[in-house]
Amino acid sequence: MTAGAGADGPSHRCCMDLSAEDLPGGITKVVLQGRFDTTGAVVMELPFNKIVTERRKIIVDLSAVNFLASYGIRVLLVGAKIVKSKGGNLVILCPDNNVAKVLKTAGMDALIPIHQTETAAAAALTS
Amino acid sequence: MSSLDPRRLVLRNDVAELQRLAGWIEGFAQHGISSDVSFAVQLCLEEAVANIIMYGAARDERLEIAVELERNGATLVARIEDNGRQFDPTRAPPPVVATSLEKAKVGDLGIHLMRSFASGMDYERREGRNRLTLRFIESTSPAPE
Repeated sequence: MTAGAGADGPSHRCCMDLSAEDLPGGITKVVLQGRFDTTGAVVMELPFNKIVTERRKIIVDLSAVNFLASYGIRVLLVGAKIVKSKGGNLVILCPDNNVAKVLKTAGMDALIPIHQTETAAAAALTS
Repeated sequence: MSSLDPRRLVLRNDVAELQRLAGWIEGFAQHGISSDVSFAVQLCLEEAVANIIMYGAARDERLEIAVELERNGATLVARIEDNGRQFDPTRAPPPVVATSLEKAKVGDLGIHLMRSFASGMDYERREGRNRLTLRFIESTSPAPE
Protein backbone atom coordinates (compact mmCIF):
# COMPACT_ATOMS: atom_id res chain seq x y z
CA MET A 1 0.00 0.00 0.00
CA THR A 2 1.01 3.59 -0.39
CA ALA A 3 -0.22 6.82 1.11
CA GLY A 4 1.02 10.35 1.15
CA ALA A 5 0.40 14.04 1.08
CA GLY A 6 1.23 14.34 -2.59
CA ALA A 7 1.53 17.65 -4.36
CA ASP A 8 -1.79 19.45 -4.11
CA GLY A 9 -0.63 22.51 -5.93
CA PRO A 10 2.31 24.78 -6.50
CA SER A 11 2.14 26.35 -3.04
CA HIS A 12 1.66 23.04 -1.20
CA ARG A 13 4.99 21.36 -0.46
CA CYS A 14 4.89 17.58 -0.59
CA CYS A 15 5.65 16.52 2.97
CA MET A 16 5.50 12.73 3.42
CA ASP A 17 4.85 9.40 1.80
CA LEU A 18 4.33 5.94 3.25
CA SER A 19 4.64 2.54 1.62
CA ALA A 20 4.44 -0.92 3.12
CA GLU A 21 5.78 -4.25 1.95
CA ASP A 22 5.66 -7.78 3.33
CA LEU A 23 8.96 -9.46 4.19
CA PRO A 24 9.56 -13.15 5.02
CA GLY A 25 8.66 -14.24 8.54
CA GLY A 26 5.43 -12.28 8.75
CA ILE A 27 7.28 -8.98 8.93
CA THR A 28 5.86 -5.77 7.51
CA LYS A 29 8.31 -3.07 6.45
CA VAL A 30 6.88 0.44 6.51
CA VAL A 31 8.97 2.92 4.55
CA LEU A 32 8.41 6.56 5.47
CA GLN A 33 9.77 9.32 3.30
CA GLY A 34 10.00 13.08 3.71
CA ARG A 35 9.56 15.53 6.59
CA PHE A 36 8.06 13.85 9.65
CA ASP A 37 7.04 17.23 11.10
CA THR A 38 3.64 18.22 12.46
CA THR A 39 2.15 18.45 8.98
CA GLY A 40 3.66 15.14 7.89
CA ALA A 41 2.60 13.41 11.10
CA VAL A 42 -1.01 14.54 10.69
CA VAL A 43 -0.99 13.04 7.18
CA MET A 44 0.73 9.80 8.27
CA GLU A 45 -1.23 9.16 11.46
CA LEU A 46 -4.19 7.37 9.91
CA PRO A 47 -2.41 5.04 7.42
CA PHE A 48 0.32 4.29 9.99
CA ASN A 49 -2.20 3.46 12.73
CA LYS A 50 -4.03 1.15 10.33
CA ILE A 51 -0.86 -0.87 9.78
CA VAL A 52 0.16 -1.07 13.44
CA THR A 53 -3.34 -2.17 14.36
CA GLU A 54 -3.33 -5.01 11.82
CA ARG A 55 0.28 -6.28 11.94
CA ARG A 56 2.46 -7.72 14.70
CA LYS A 57 6.06 -7.52 13.42
CA ILE A 58 6.88 -4.11 12.01
CA ILE A 59 10.05 -2.47 10.75
CA VAL A 60 9.73 1.29 10.30
CA ASP A 61 12.37 2.38 7.79
CA LEU A 62 13.30 6.01 8.51
CA SER A 63 16.30 6.20 6.16
CA ALA A 64 14.40 8.53 3.80
CA VAL A 65 13.03 10.74 6.57
CA ASN A 66 15.08 13.94 6.67
CA PHE A 67 13.32 15.69 9.56
CA LEU A 68 11.56 14.56 12.73
CA ALA A 69 9.60 16.69 15.19
CA SER A 70 7.70 15.82 18.37
CA TYR A 71 4.42 15.10 16.60
CA GLY A 72 6.21 12.54 14.43
CA ILE A 73 7.67 10.96 17.56
CA ARG A 74 4.15 10.81 18.96
CA VAL A 75 2.97 8.81 15.93
CA LEU A 76 5.89 6.36 16.27
CA LEU A 77 5.40 5.98 20.03
CA VAL A 78 1.64 5.44 19.79
CA GLY A 79 2.27 2.90 17.03
CA ALA A 80 4.85 1.02 19.08
CA LYS A 81 2.50 0.96 22.07
CA ILE A 82 -0.38 -0.40 19.97
CA VAL A 83 1.77 -3.19 18.50
CA LYS A 84 3.17 -4.05 21.95
CA SER A 85 -0.32 -4.17 23.47
CA LYS A 86 -1.21 -6.85 20.92
CA GLY A 87 1.87 -8.92 21.69
CA GLY A 88 3.93 -7.72 18.75
CA ASN A 89 7.00 -5.55 18.26
CA LEU A 90 7.97 -2.49 16.27
CA VAL A 91 11.56 -1.53 15.50
CA ILE A 92 13.11 1.43 13.70
CA LEU A 93 15.52 1.01 10.80
CA CYS A 94 18.34 3.31 9.82
CA PRO A 95 17.39 6.86 10.84
CA ASP A 96 19.71 9.56 9.46
CA ASN A 97 22.06 11.33 11.89
CA ASN A 98 19.83 14.27 12.85
CA VAL A 99 16.72 12.11 13.07
CA ALA A 100 18.62 9.63 15.28
CA LYS A 101 19.69 12.58 17.47
CA VAL A 102 16.06 13.64 17.91
CA LEU A 103 15.03 10.08 18.79
CA LYS A 104 17.84 9.80 21.33
CA THR A 105 17.18 13.23 22.86
CA ALA A 106 13.52 12.30 23.26
CA GLY A 107 14.51 9.03 24.97
CA MET A 108 12.91 6.94 22.24
CA ASP A 109 16.04 4.85 21.70
CA ALA A 110 15.38 3.30 25.13
CA LEU A 111 11.78 2.43 24.23
CA ILE A 112 11.88 1.47 20.55
CA PRO A 113 14.85 -0.59 19.29
CA ILE A 114 16.84 1.09 16.50
CA HIS A 115 18.77 -1.02 13.99
CA GLN A 116 21.14 -0.03 11.21
CA THR A 117 20.46 -2.93 8.84
CA GLU A 118 17.30 -4.66 7.68
CA THR A 119 18.88 -8.02 8.55
CA ALA A 120 19.41 -6.97 12.17
CA ALA A 121 15.93 -5.45 12.39
CA ALA A 122 14.32 -8.61 11.01
CA ALA A 123 16.39 -10.80 13.34
CA ALA A 124 15.21 -8.75 16.34
CA LEU A 125 11.59 -9.39 15.34
CA THR A 126 11.95 -13.11 14.77
CA SER A 127 14.16 -14.04 17.73
CA MET B 1 11.47 45.42 9.49
CA SER B 2 8.90 45.46 6.74
CA SER B 3 6.60 42.51 6.00
CA LEU B 4 8.76 41.84 2.92
CA ASP B 5 11.94 41.52 4.96
CA PRO B 6 13.36 38.03 4.24
CA ARG B 7 14.38 37.73 7.90
CA ARG B 8 10.82 38.17 9.20
CA LEU B 9 7.76 36.01 8.67
CA VAL B 10 4.27 36.60 10.03
CA LEU B 11 2.02 33.57 10.45
CA ARG B 12 -1.57 32.91 11.47
CA ASN B 13 -2.52 30.29 14.06
CA ASP B 14 -3.33 27.66 11.45
CA VAL B 15 -1.47 24.31 11.27
CA ALA B 16 -1.15 24.78 7.50
CA GLU B 17 1.17 27.73 8.23
CA LEU B 18 3.86 25.32 9.50
CA GLN B 19 4.67 24.38 5.91
CA ARG B 20 5.20 28.03 5.05
CA LEU B 21 7.47 28.32 8.09
CA ALA B 22 9.51 25.27 7.01
CA GLY B 23 10.00 26.63 3.49
CA TRP B 24 10.99 30.05 4.80
CA ILE B 25 13.61 28.59 7.18
CA GLU B 26 15.02 26.39 4.40
CA GLY B 27 15.47 29.49 2.27
CA PHE B 28 17.21 31.36 5.08
CA ALA B 29 19.41 28.37 5.94
CA GLN B 30 20.88 28.21 2.44
CA HIS B 31 23.08 31.20 3.23
CA GLY B 32 26.15 29.81 4.97
CA ILE B 33 24.51 27.97 7.85
CA SER B 34 25.71 24.49 8.78
CA SER B 35 23.33 21.58 8.29
CA ASP B 36 23.34 20.87 12.05
CA VAL B 37 22.33 24.43 12.97
CA SER B 38 19.82 24.52 10.13
CA PHE B 39 18.22 21.31 11.45
CA ALA B 40 18.19 22.67 15.03
CA VAL B 41 16.58 25.95 13.93
CA GLN B 42 13.94 24.11 11.90
CA LEU B 43 13.17 21.77 14.80
CA CYS B 44 12.95 24.46 17.49
CA LEU B 45 10.87 26.87 15.42
CA GLU B 46 8.55 24.06 14.34
CA GLU B 47 8.02 23.07 17.99
CA ALA B 48 7.62 26.64 19.26
CA VAL B 49 5.20 27.75 16.54
CA ALA B 50 3.22 24.48 16.62
CA ASN B 51 2.74 24.99 20.38
CA ILE B 52 1.42 28.50 19.82
CA ILE B 53 -0.89 27.38 17.01
CA MET B 54 -2.32 24.48 19.00
CA TYR B 55 -2.47 25.94 22.50
CA GLY B 56 -2.00 29.71 22.22
CA ALA B 57 -5.61 30.68 21.76
CA ALA B 58 -9.17 29.52 22.08
CA ARG B 59 -10.72 28.01 18.98
CA ASP B 60 -11.66 30.62 16.37
CA GLU B 61 -9.52 33.26 18.07
CA ARG B 62 -7.07 34.71 15.60
CA LEU B 63 -3.40 35.10 16.53
CA GLU B 64 -0.46 36.78 14.89
CA ILE B 65 2.85 34.93 15.18
CA ALA B 66 5.94 36.81 14.06
CA VAL B 67 9.20 34.91 13.52
CA GLU B 68 12.54 36.65 12.98
CA LEU B 69 15.94 35.19 12.21
CA GLU B 70 19.15 37.14 12.56
CA ARG B 71 22.81 36.24 12.32
CA ASN B 72 25.19 37.79 14.79
CA GLY B 73 28.69 36.44 14.11
CA ALA B 74 28.67 32.74 14.89
CA THR B 75 25.31 32.99 16.62
CA LEU B 76 21.97 32.68 14.92
CA VAL B 77 19.15 34.28 16.89
CA ALA B 78 15.50 33.34 16.38
CA ARG B 79 12.69 35.40 17.94
CA ILE B 80 9.10 34.28 18.08
CA GLU B 81 6.49 36.78 19.19
CA ASP B 82 2.77 36.11 19.53
CA ASN B 83 -0.29 37.71 21.04
CA GLY B 84 -1.69 34.46 22.46
CA ARG B 85 -2.23 33.45 26.05
CA GLN B 86 0.77 33.85 28.32
CA PHE B 87 3.07 30.85 28.22
CA ASP B 88 6.69 30.61 29.31
CA PRO B 89 8.26 27.43 27.85
CA THR B 90 11.48 28.01 29.83
CA ARG B 91 9.51 27.17 32.99
CA ALA B 92 7.97 23.95 31.69
CA PRO B 93 9.05 20.90 33.73
CA PRO B 94 11.30 18.33 32.07
CA PRO B 95 9.57 15.23 30.70
CA VAL B 96 9.27 12.15 32.87
CA VAL B 97 11.73 9.46 31.80
CA ALA B 98 9.76 6.34 30.92
CA THR B 99 10.96 2.99 32.19
CA SER B 100 9.05 0.96 29.63
CA LEU B 101 7.13 1.34 26.39
CA GLU B 102 3.89 0.48 28.18
CA LYS B 103 4.39 3.25 30.77
CA ALA B 104 5.71 5.87 28.36
CA LYS B 105 3.63 9.03 28.26
CA VAL B 106 2.67 10.31 24.83
CA GLY B 107 3.51 13.97 24.26
CA ASP B 108 5.31 16.72 26.20
CA LEU B 109 8.51 16.38 24.16
CA GLY B 110 8.50 19.58 22.10
CA ILE B 111 9.89 21.93 24.75
CA HIS B 112 12.45 19.31 25.80
CA LEU B 113 13.66 19.13 22.18
CA MET B 114 13.86 22.94 22.01
CA ARG B 115 15.96 23.06 25.18
CA SER B 116 18.27 20.36 23.86
CA PHE B 117 18.79 21.62 20.31
CA ALA B 118 19.03 25.36 21.02
CA SER B 119 22.11 26.81 22.69
CA GLY B 120 19.96 29.17 24.77
CA MET B 121 16.31 30.05 25.32
CA ASP B 122 14.85 33.19 26.96
CA TYR B 123 11.28 34.32 27.46
CA GLU B 124 9.61 37.56 28.34
CA ARG B 125 6.03 38.78 28.42
CA ARG B 126 5.85 42.32 27.12
CA GLU B 127 2.84 44.46 26.27
CA GLY B 128 0.52 41.47 26.17
CA ARG B 129 2.76 39.44 23.88
CA ASN B 130 4.92 36.35 24.40
CA ARG B 131 8.47 36.87 23.19
CA LEU B 132 10.70 33.81 22.97
CA THR B 133 14.33 34.13 21.94
CA LEU B 134 16.34 31.10 20.85
CA ARG B 135 20.06 31.13 20.15
CA PHE B 136 22.04 28.70 18.03
CA ILE B 137 25.83 28.75 18.00
CA GLU B 138 27.81 27.43 15.05
CA SER B 139 30.48 24.82 15.81
CA THR B 140 28.75 23.89 19.08
CA SER B 141 27.13 20.48 19.17
CA PRO B 142 23.39 21.30 19.30
CA ALA B 143 22.32 18.16 21.07
CA PRO B 144 23.83 15.86 23.68
CA GLU B 145 25.82 12.96 22.25
